[in-house]
Amino acid sequence: MILNETPIRTAKNYEINNINIDDFSLPKNIKKFGGLNISGDVDKISIIEEKNKANLKYGNGEILSKQIENDSNVNLHLKVDSQDKKEITLEFNLSEENQNLVDDILIDGTENATATIVIKYISDRKGKFYHNGQIRVVSQNSSNLNIIFLNLLNKETENYVSIENVLDENSTVKYTIVDFGGKNSVTNYYTNLKGENSNNEINTIYLGTDNQLLDLNYIVEVYGKKSNINMNLKGAIKDKSKKHFKGTIDFKKDCKKAKGDENEYCTILSDTAKSISLPVLLCTEEDIEGNHGTASGKVDEKQLFYLMTRGLSLKEAQKLIVRGQFNEIIENIPDENIRDIVVEQIEQKL
Amino acid sequence: MKTELDEINRNIYDIKNKDDYDFKIKKGLTREIIEEISRQKNDPEWMRDFRLKALETYNKLEMPTWGPDLSELNMDDIATYVRPKTKMTGNWEDVPEDIKNTFDKLGIPEAEKKSLAGVGAQYDSEVVYHSMKNELLAQGVIYTDMETAVREYPDIVQQHFMKCVPVTDHKFVALHGAVWSGGSFVYVPKNVKVEIPLQSYFRLNSPESGQFEHTLIIVDEGASLHFIEGCSAPKYNKVNLHAGCVELYVKDGAYLRYSTIENWSKNMLNLNTKKAIIGKNAQVDWVSGSFGSKISMLYPMSILNGEGARTEYTGISFAGKGQNLDTGFKVVHNSRNTSSLVNSKSISKNGGTATYRALVRINENAKGSKCNVSCESLMLDDISRSDTIPVNDVRTDEVEFSHEAKIGKISDKSIFYLMSRGLSEEDAKAMIVRGFADPISKELPVEYAAEMNNLINLELEGSIG
Amino acid sequence: MPKKLLEIKDLYVNAGDKEILKGVDLTINKGEIHVIMGPNGSGKSTTANAILNNPAYTKMGGKIILEDTDITNLKTDEIARKGVFMSFQLPEEIPGITVSNFLRYSKNKVTGKPIKVFEFKNELKKHMEELQMKPEYSERYLNVGFSGGEKKKNEILQMLVLNPKLAILDETDSGLDVDSINIVSKGIEMYKNKNNAVLIITHNTKILHSLKVDYVHVLINGKIVKTGTGELASEIEEKGYKMFK
Repeated sequence: MILNETPIRTAKNYEINNINIDDFSLPKNIKKFGGLNISGDVDKISIIEEKNKANLKYGNGEILSKQIENDSNVNLHLKVDSQDKKEITLEFNLSEENQNLVDDILIDGTENATATIVIKYISDRKGKFYHNGQIRVVSQNSSNLNIIFLNLLNKETENYVSIENVLDENSTVKYTIVDFGGKNSVTNYYTNLKGENSNNEINTIYLGTDNQLLDLNYIVEVYGKKSNINMNLKGAIKDKSKKHFKGTIDFKKDCKKAKGDENEYCTILSDTAKSISLPVLLCTEEDIEGNHGTASGKVDEKQLFYLMTRGLSLKEAQKLIVRGQFNEIIENIPDENIRDIVVEQIEQKL
Repeated sequence: MKTELDEINRNIYDIKNKDDYDFKIKKGLTREIIEEISRQKNDPEWMRDFRLKALETYNKLEMPTWGPDLSELNMDDIATYVRPKTKMTGNWEDVPEDIKNTFDKLGIPEAEKKSLAGVGAQYDSEVVYHSMKNELLAQGVIYTDMETAVREYPDIVQQHFMKCVPVTDHKFVALHGAVWSGGSFVYVPKNVKVEIPLQSYFRLNSPESGQFEHTLIIVDEGASLHFIEGCSAPKYNKVNLHAGCVELYVKDGAYLRYSTIENWSKNMLNLNTKKAIIGKNAQVDWVSGSFGSKISMLYPMSILNGEGARTEYTGISFAGKGQNLDTGFKVVHNSRNTSSLVNSKSISKNGGTATYRALVRINENAKGSKCNVSCESLMLDDISRSDTIPVNDVRTDEVEFSHEAKIGKISDKSIFYLMSRGLSEEDAKAMIVRGFADPISKELPVEYAAEMNNLINLELEGSIG
Repeated sequence: MPKKLLEIKDLYVNAGDKEILKGVDLTINKGEIHVIMGPNGSGKSTTANAILNNPAYTKMGGKIILEDTDITNLKTDEIARKGVFMSFQLPEEIPGITVSNFLRYSKNKVTGKPIKVFEFKNELKKHMEELQMKPEYSERYLNVGFSGGEKKKNEILQMLVLNPKLAILDETDSGLDVDSINIVSKGIEMYKNKNNAVLIITHNTKILHSLKVDYVHVLINGKIVKTGTGELASEIEEKGYKMFK
């Protein structure tokens, strides 16, 4: 199955235009999902169970979109209004009883609304489960949404995610993404910076071990004047894992004074891990500032040496340095318990 | 305040000579046409077979599925072989008047006297002039046109010809394999250092035709060379095609600098392929200035096969009205402790499109390697386009890889700073653009740096403000 | 009767929507050294930028007269060619253009006539020696990779080469060590004569110890609240700006 097409094609033999999942089989007979737990300020956010019928501009390919359209077993429409601080957590727990999750989430940020929304995918440690989901965020004028997205599924599970955000004037949508789990974890992330002064921030940490395949395709189209996009990814890969990061910032004509930044740092912890990155800047407007930087390599030797003179073993020192790189992103997670879970997973995986 | 000229005056580059040839093959691409070219060129049998096989490959391969739109290219409208009315000579006086005049105006004989160790000049499909200083001859350096090399050095040519760039690489390389004509062959023997550059200049005069020169350079162990390639053509209404091929073999401990100033006319489709195979502790430096053509797809490539091999790429492209310049660099790190350094700049204005498209691959066997890439794009107005599309493929851990890119306009603060020193706004912008291009022109010999600055001034004239 | 060089009349300047200068009056005569002092954000740099008509600022009212010419709305380069120089607080880095090439080009523009290469090189060399700048700096790209101190010296070098009627020094002393401050003040002394003038913008007083200052103006919240002689600077050094509030 071919998924996650990049908006700009490159030569086929670079193998980055899309991702081909060979052994994919679409689960049939999706049963009712009983593993959802909603907590937090549930009284302050209206949650309606209804089909959202959202048609994403990019998404994760026709087969998966069709499945969400026809076979979703969780449909949520979150309506965030009012300015008072509120926080809500949606926890999806995949297990023997709830093996397949096909979820469709719509987050509606009305004018001036403010909220933190944690969306968390966890699973039993063992078991081949399946997740195909889509999240659509509409951020109306001056709304402010803070979204924490956690993929902590086990390493046998298939994980396919499509995200789409549309931002109106003066709105801010901030994402913190922890992308650790899944045998194949494929994420299509698209933002439309439609409104003037809109602001999208994406902070992602990823971690690949064993035979994991991570395919991240982040696309941001910049239309609004003075709008701002900041993509910041930190990751580490080891064993035979593979990571593809495709990041596109597309400055459309007339997005004057817009700014875009895209940064990725990938630490490679074994000589069999593979990192491909395709950081694309497209630009048809003169009055913008666009930057990207990407780097990869092993852990800095000077840092390692410094820590080892303080008595840490090589492994401990590596772990500490990678954790240090992740920390500024982990700190965005408001809930201490979740932070602890993330840190614990880093410990385990490294 | 913006004064836009429709067509800038490219003066000397645009002088058209009468399309006066000895032989022009009929347009199109068939087995018969290839056989006819082969007959006209007196190919040895292996070369004739090679051409026909390449044609088969060409017919099998598909057009690129990425990059600029090439739909206006119709091979049925292109004559792939045009022989000028002259034989190759080693004396400028023997070159026919109109052809000699063209090269005179381009400053080639003058540059030969002043700053070159050897010169080759190609007009349409054949090399019309080739000469090299006697000292180099005595040292065993070979610098001649490709046809002579096929005749006189058959073993070495057969061993290397289209082995570095196989015809299966892509459709236009296959086309090149079928119809190639002209170009230069250089062999520098072990430990010979050629201190002064050699230059080949390629001029396409004939309308609705193509130029397919083949450049094959072998720099043997411990030797060094600076090779300069220049190209230009007058402008016609219909498209011309350039699908040259450059193969560089740089053996252990050798050094090659390969400089190009490309100023094709703005009806040219420039689909050129250049590749270097680099041995142990050897180095290839590419210096590339792309100014002309309607569409360029040009991505020089270094394959770092030997331990400690190095490569640098310094490139600038300037895309003006109606131009789509898709350029960049490819490097494959294939051995331990190899290194690459990329510095790319582009300028787009007046509706032009400049794209940086690149590949960095660091293979499993390339531990201890380093790669640094920096690209900067300058947008001079809001009707132009600038894209950066780099693929970075890292397959081992002990490497240092970094890539940085920037897109934007000239900073208002910089303009104010220069204006506070008495420069007008136009002067300030032009100065910043020249400064932007300086790291590239600095890499070129003085005469060519001056030519490049001229080209930049020509391009900027009447468009900045 | 002293000869008027620059006169600022009731100047109002905005940066974006923000009102910065709210009616500034200032007269500088030939042969004088003036200092504008004030806390951060009081509008000191805005005054300098407004004189050179930086398009990032908008004049809402008032006039700036240089000798007999109204320069309020002239373009920056025209003002520079009339003999106004500004040393930047944060000089821009211009890659690819050497200090020497740039200054020669700029000198030609400011004087309106070509200067001979040889003559220029000698003059540049002389001034660089005076400022204790290493000769290789003239072949380096303009401000690229210069330390803070080197950038400031390079500004003073440009002032000496371009030899303006009025030199505005915007925080030229900030971030400099004692030795550099001495070299910079020496530069100002060399430049200064009875036909030109200097306007120093600063928030500290170190540089004023080694220069003979004629007038000190205190700018607070977009207005000059007090004008005095050099002694006013010492008073501020002691007591701070509190006394004006």
